[in-house]
Amino acid sequence: MLTRRIFLRGSAIAMAGAGSVPFWLGRAAAAAGGRRKTLVAIFQRGAADGLNVVVPFSEKRYYELRPTLGIPAPGSNNGPQPAIDLDGKFALNPVLQPFKALWDKQMLAIVEATGSPDPSRSHFDAQDYMESGTPGMKRDGWLNRALPLVAGGSPLRAVAMSANLPRTLQGDCPAIAINDVKQFQTSQDNAAIIEHMYAASPDKQLASAGKDAFSAMRMIQSLSRTQYNPAGGAQYGQAGELGRALQQVAQLIKADAGVEAAFAEIGGWDHHQNEPVAMNNVLRQFGAAISAFCRDMGDGMEDIVLVTMSEFGRTAAENGNNGTDHGHGDLMFVLGGPVRGGKVYGKWPGLDHEQLYEGRDLAVTTDFRQVLSELVSGHLGTRDMSQVFPGFQPAAPLGLLKTEASL
Amino acid sequence: MLRFLLAAGAVVAAHGASPGDETAKQFEAKLDSDQRILQALDRLTFGARPGDMDEIRKIGVEKWIDQQLHPERIAENPVLDAKLKPLESTRMDSAAILKQYYQQNRAGIIRVGVNLNTLLPGDQSRKVFNGTIEERRATIMALDPETRIKVLATIPPNLVECIPELQKEAVEARKKEMETRQAELRKQRPQLRDLLDGQQALIVRMGTPAERAALFASLDPEKLKQVAAALPPDALAGRADLRRMAAASRNPQQLPIADLREAKLYRAIYSNRQLEEVLTDFWFNHFNVFEGKGADRIVLTSYERDAIRPHVLGKFQDLLLAVAHHPAMLYYLDNWESMATGSFEVGPFAPQPPGVMGFVGGRGGPFARLPHGLNENYGRELMELHTMGVNGGYTQQDVIAVARCFTGWTIKTPAEKPEFVFAPFMHDNDEKTVLGHKIAAGGGEHDGLEVIDILAHHPSTARFISAKLARYFVADDPPPELVERLARTFTKTDGDLRAVLTALFTSREFFSQGAWQSKVRTPLQMVAASVRALDADVTDSFMLVQKVSEMGEPLYGKEAPTGYKDNAATWLSTASVMARMEFASAVVNGKTPGVNVDWSRFEHKDPTAIASVLLHRSLPKEGLDAIQAGLNGGEDTPARIAAVILSSPEFQRR
Repeated sequence: MLTRRIFLRGSAIAMAGAGSVPFWLGRAAAAAGGRRKTLVAIFQRGAADGLNVVVPFSEKRYYELRPTLGIPAPGSNNGPQPAIDLDGKFALNPVLQPFKALWDKQMLAIVEATGSPDPSRSHFDAQDYMESGTPGMKRDGWLNRALPLVAGGSPLRAVAMSANLPRTLQGDCPAIAINDVKQFQTSQDNAAIIEHMYAASPDKQLASAGKDAFSAMRMIQSLSRTQYNPAGGAQYGQAGELGRALQQVAQLIKADAGVEAAFAEIGGWDHHQNEPVAMNNVLRQFGAAISAFCRDMGDGMEDIVLVTMSEFGRTAAENGNNGTDHGHGDLMFVLGGPVRGGKVYGKWPGLDHEQLYEGRDLAVTTDFRQVLSELVSGHLGTRDMSQVFPGFQPAAPLGLLKTEASL
Repeated sequence: MLRFLLAAGAVVAAHGASPGDETAKQFEAKLDSDQRILQALDRLTFGARPGDMDEIRKIGVEKWIDQQLHPERIAENPVLDAKLKPLESTRMDSAAILKQYYQQNRAGIIRVGVNLNTLLPGDQSRKVFNGTIEERRATIMALDPETRIKVLATIPPNLVECIPELQKEAVEARKKEMETRQAELRKQRPQLRDLLDGQQALIVRMGTPAERAALFASLDPEKLKQVAAALPPDALAGRADLRRMAAASRNPQQLPIADLREAKLYRAIYSNRQLEEVLTDFWFNHFNVFEGKGADRIVLTSYERDAIRPHVLGKFQDLLLAVAHHPAMLYYLDNWESMATGSFEVGPFAPQPPGVMGFVGGRGGPFARLPHGLNENYGRELMELHTMGVNGGYTQQDVIAVARCFTGWTIKTPAEKPEFVFAPFMHDNDEKTVLGHKIAAGGGEHDGLEVIDILAHHPSTARFISAKLARYFVADDPPPELVERLARTFTKTDGDLRAVLTALFTSREFFSQGAWQSKVRTPLQMVAASVRALDADVTDSFMLVQKVSEMGEPLYGKEAPTGYKDNAATWLSTASVMARMEFASAVVNGKTPGVNVDWSRFEHKDPTAIASVLLHRSLPKEGLDAIQAGLNGGEDTPARIAAVILSSPEFQRR
């Protein structure tokens, strides 16, 4: 198995063959004093039903509240597939089978009953607040603020695999949205002329901006041209749009493009009706994409942390249409080499009527910013959380990341 | 002694110029006469059009600048009036906008149709919601079947959790209710598959603009309206009429902002009063308000039209006051709900109780608010961003004092006719000290007016505003001496913006090499300049609005009160460079419906000629060489060359 360092050298040479090596490739590698860390944020848009993603099967109330939707406890063998036991209290939705291996390898952690103090049940407002990292206020993105401003960093430092730059990555740090590599395919000949004009321009400021832009463009274009072979037999093909997005993130990271923050999203979680069928579909893609990414990155996962989130959860009880309505508390997955996995974090509030938020939803016992701030400071190394999550008072750390060992 | 000083001077001189001196020299180096004309066009307009240079050569650049400084003397372009005509919301006041786009269209909102208050009068409602399980069951069972179904479908599911016989019925009832609702939805908002056959649907989704146009022409008006309503706005680019029709039936609340954005592009491209439009853009950004903050969307049209534009060449204090009074700013920076600590609201402004659903969703309608104390937001931004600047010399105490002065400056009848009102019972009537000025107790509304007066006349304001204007019109890093001179003019003329601009536009720094082509075009400026340079005919500016947004400057869409930054670095990200290339390519390849270029003008012209037409100056030799080398005998249509030039680094400068 190629060690990461050898692979990097190889990739640089491969790029030299295809055209000029991005001049910041060296810069990017040199800038990371040790090894570059990457934080990948995945947003499940539509309010994912956490209670059916990770099933609190030891709670009798769960089955009382969800007579139709409840997923059978591990071990039951009448009817639909049972959940996959994790720790005797929580179990995975069977469709998330690929996560079991990650759990066993202690690369997967779950934080239960996470969410925002803001009571909004509007998808758009709640998403905006979560992406801003400031419940109640919409502004630029927490992940952009998490990256310290440096001069001359890689133009691909912050990438979003979506059509428009999501709020999460908006801000002062340059970030780029890559939905479809085709959008970077300007007529080849024109691009060459324009690039030459930028390079030759006596205007130094624009020449420099152009240089960065074109090498970033070429890097992105090469993603589609070269036949990418995921390592370890990883299968992105079954994993829909999210699979495609994460594959491109993997490619960029492996090509040492300097990615420190990446964002991907997956919609289709708003299950007001017919939840079992709809949920299975989207959850399968979700699990397949993330596990393919982990498999593909292999040893590279040592430097990567993935975190998932959704704007809020769903009602504890099912509604009359085989679905659930907008709720409050939800859960977050945290994956990666540096993660202290194989554990469910957070204080489980229970599902009794008095324990539910407004008598209907899972309560929030861990602010989503608690999770994110631990990852930003512990993994990316950013110190000043007051800039990243202004107004947030951190509670006692959850301990999601392993203590830093020597490199 | 003199010899010594002279010698010392010589030593200093001999060491050679420092980098600062180099830059300073640039601002002293003059431009030639054609450069002066182009400089004036680049800075006072949204880009030179064919023929503009000649026109100015005839009357002289000083005279032309003077004309632009007096827009009331310039006859407006009838083409502009024609383009703006369909955008009717731009002419409405806030009350009319509310009525037309927010209340009028209740029909568009699917009514749930179940009013529990009529189905479960008085005590019955109490028994169902707050009674024991037995009371609940008895009450519901006692209802007639029709009512029972409606009630069971609407009450929260957990109420019948423990009543098995009702629970089953409730599940059925909810299912039926959902189905009825969806059927009604389908009827009111038919999907494409309900309206068109497979072939037609394919054309609408994937056909060429011509094919789509033909299909639209073949449908009867009623059908066309429904089809339009079922399509996303992008699919109707180039068909402003259909798009407005669709929006009116589907989401009318989006129209006022959509109109504002499209109007802004039309004005930038077609207005004869170019400087006035440039200044409106500048001052709106200075006094930024974000369209996405709730109800600001309703009042933004009036804000730009009534508070900003009329004052851009008047007195700064008048502009400041108009902004301070306007509901848009009062709401955006929260001053409307700022009140003296310990006071409470009574009378017509009492906040609605939480949980009352207004027609715009949320508690109590578009301006719903809860009792608050003092809100410092406006007090701070008024000094930090609007007048003195962050280093202007105010303290936290001043911020609090200013906020106290403005308590009571709020919005009246927000849900029908949002306008300024001074509410005495919200006002902090105690004595305050602002920047060393004592403001006597009992001043009421006058407190705020006095603060405006103090700030408008503060030396830091003169400097801050002058620096901002110099940065916008001269260079990212304007010479301090110029800023000082402008500040002196500001103070001497009591904040007369026309006088300050006159001083700016006649300064040697404005017409210097240091200023020449030194600014990077913002997305709006780049798009408008491209269209003007191409002399394109724009029948629908929707796509242009999209492109400006894609390049990173969504119009009216900057959330922070700081507005968009005004320097090269802001607009030179990788994404921005690529988006500009993409735009240039789209425009010349007919991929921006609604924007039509007459290429016959460019026929038989070589790259040098086309560059000269579009840039109004010559490309540097390196650029021309790059084009020639790249073309190298290959396809060299005017369109292709134009795309390259509009994407060039030179075109990004002005």
